[in-house]
Amino acid sequence: MAVKHQLPKTPKPKAPIEEHKKHAEEFLKDPMYATKPETLNDTSDEAKP
Amino acid sequence: MTYRPPFIKQGDGSRCQWQNCGCAAHAMAAMRSRLGRNPNNEHGWPPTPSEIRNRIGGGCDGTNLQENAAAVAHLYGVIMLVRYGVPWNTFRSLIISGRGAVVQIRYSVIAPTRFDASPGFTGNHAVYVNERRSSDGAYYVYDPLADHRRSSIPQGPQWWPATLLQRAAYAMPGTSTGCVNASFTRDTE
Repeated sequence: MAVKHQLPKTPKPKAPIEEHKKHAEEFLKDPMYATKPETLNDTSDEAKP
Repeated sequence: MTYRPPFIKQGDGSRCQWQNCGCAAHAMAAMRSRLGRNPNNEHGWPPTPSEIRNRIGGGCDGTNLQENAAAVAHLYGVIMLVRYGVPWNTFRSLIISGRGAVVQIRYSVIAPTRFDASPGFTGNHAVYVNERRSSDGAYYVYDPLADHRRSSIPQGPQWWPATLLQRAAYAMPGTSTGCVNASFTRDTE
């Protein structure tokens, strides 16, 4: 019986940290995301002891 | 290696302790932001949930991101960047690139898992996220409730699967679909 050879899986390319930093900095400059949506209730609730 | 702040629990016996998740999470974020260094001002160090709570003032209602960010800026000189409707991929980039974050979550998503640190609680909550592990994408999460006050309750920071953190953050009422609300530390890396 013929053995089917499997090619090793190609690892997913990972974005270098510089790319993440650039993405993060650009996002943080956008003032739109600093505004709280009117529908959001972001107040925490009372937890159980 | 990414700096890891000490775990700070909310159940410390202080006033409003069970409503102090946001304060405790921001106390840990302040430690991360300052890499544990004392600002040597007139306020206490290390940060405590009660000092942050007292700065916010008022009764024992729950707190939100803006209130806590303003308190840690005043007390410790720590600037937190509060952002709403953050797409998940962007949140991931912010963490990978060297920031910690206080993330708002709905505890009903955590309740059925082994990470549940407050049996019976299903409401709005805040956790501090310090870093992401590249091998499996898990996040190192400091749940201020995880103080091992009973044997069944986790102790200190835990590696949460990314999907769990994501689902819990998405479930905050009023949050844009597929987004999270969070308060980010400076880039310390």
